[in-house]
Amino acid sequence: MSLTAKAWSPYLAGVVIGLLQIPAFVLIETALGASSSYVTVGGLIAALVDPSASGIDYIAKHIAATGKNWWQVALVAGIGIGAFVSMRLSGARRQAISPIWARALGSASPTKRYAVAFVAGFIMLFGARIADGCTSGHGLSGTAQLAVGSMVAVAAMFAGGIATAMLALRRV
Amino acid sequence: MSVTFAIIVGIAMGVVFGVALEKSRVFEPGIIVGQMQLRNFIMLKVFLTAVATGAVVLAALHGFGVVKLYPKAALYYADVVGGLLLGAGIALAGACPGTTAAQIGAGYRDAIFTLFGGLAGAVAYGYAEPMLSKTLLASGGKIILSDLVGIPYWTGALALAAIIVAVLVALERARPWRDELGDDVDGDLAPPSRARRATIVPAE
Repeated sequence: MSLTAKAWSPYLAGVVIGLLQIPAFVLIETALGASSSYVTVGGLIAALVDPSASGIDYIAKHIAATGKNWWQVALVAGIGIGAFVSMRLSGARRQAISPIWARALGSASPTKRYAVAFVAGFIMLFGARIADGCTSGHGLSGTAQLAVGSMVAVAAMFAGGIATAMLALRRV
Repeated sequence: MSVTFAIIVGIAMGVVFGVALEKSRVFEPGIIVGQMQLRNFIMLKVFLTAVATGAVVLAALHGFGVVKLYPKAALYYADVVGGLLLGAGIALAGACPGTTAAQIGAGYRDAIFTLFGGLAGAVAYGYAEPMLSKTLLASGGKIILSDLVGIPYWTGALALAAIIVAVLVALERARPWRDELGDDVDGDLAPPSRARRATIVPAE
């Protein structure tokens, strides 16, 4: 479990992630999640451009200065910091674009990859907000709480992911 | 709970989360796309282990009355439509909303575009929500599987964890995790010759 190792067992990492439910439930009184932070940050940016955005209840609820909203923004920012530190400690440096994309997209063009990534991010968060959760909120937390709606969302997520990866991407 | 306290706890938890995502390599596009093409199972291994661990932890915390549960309401139509879109986005991004941040931290530049696309998608949903909430998002109850079966939550959670452990033991026997990392720990299992062929046009 050394911080200088390039890879840990997926089971060890999974246990570490699962244990994070303890501080989430005990200290913040919520479950692990990631996708609502996109509404908080995106909503604040939108409100700068269009002041009427903060008049929409859904956006107003997410940009309110509450502990839960900002805890999740901090969590996602922390993920970036943790991954950066972990990468520097192990020396597992990455290229600008993973080598798998040239094969998956059938093109080595960075512009094409950036365009696909932007559209993918858009679809991913639009879908996550419709479902009211993502891989973390529905997947990790909802399933562990035996929430029936979350299990349906996770099944749909894998179905959509598998169908897209098989039909729209080439074999990596 | 003050906002400052919440932010400090969030960053500390996020750093641990980010280290675990980076060390498990589950944040790699090669691992995530590989999972969706059913060629690499590291994502499922990390995911199911985290679910089982969370279930055991919550069985104890809830069973002893330390915490309440926070399940999301079951909105089946929204869960299916949203889940399908989320999955399609994950496959094309090679990331999910949380691992996008890990990709940026680890140095993947395309993940910055995923992040901005995600922010735009979340805002677009915010504008559409007043309209969607009347149709797609009919209100639903917070339904828990153990309540449907008629057993206490902790019993159901431990049963789920036991089933997951059995699945993981079988999965690991069939697909050892070390064989799924790839030479550069990015889930790229293609032999170099095949990778070269994809980027260099062969001469006649």
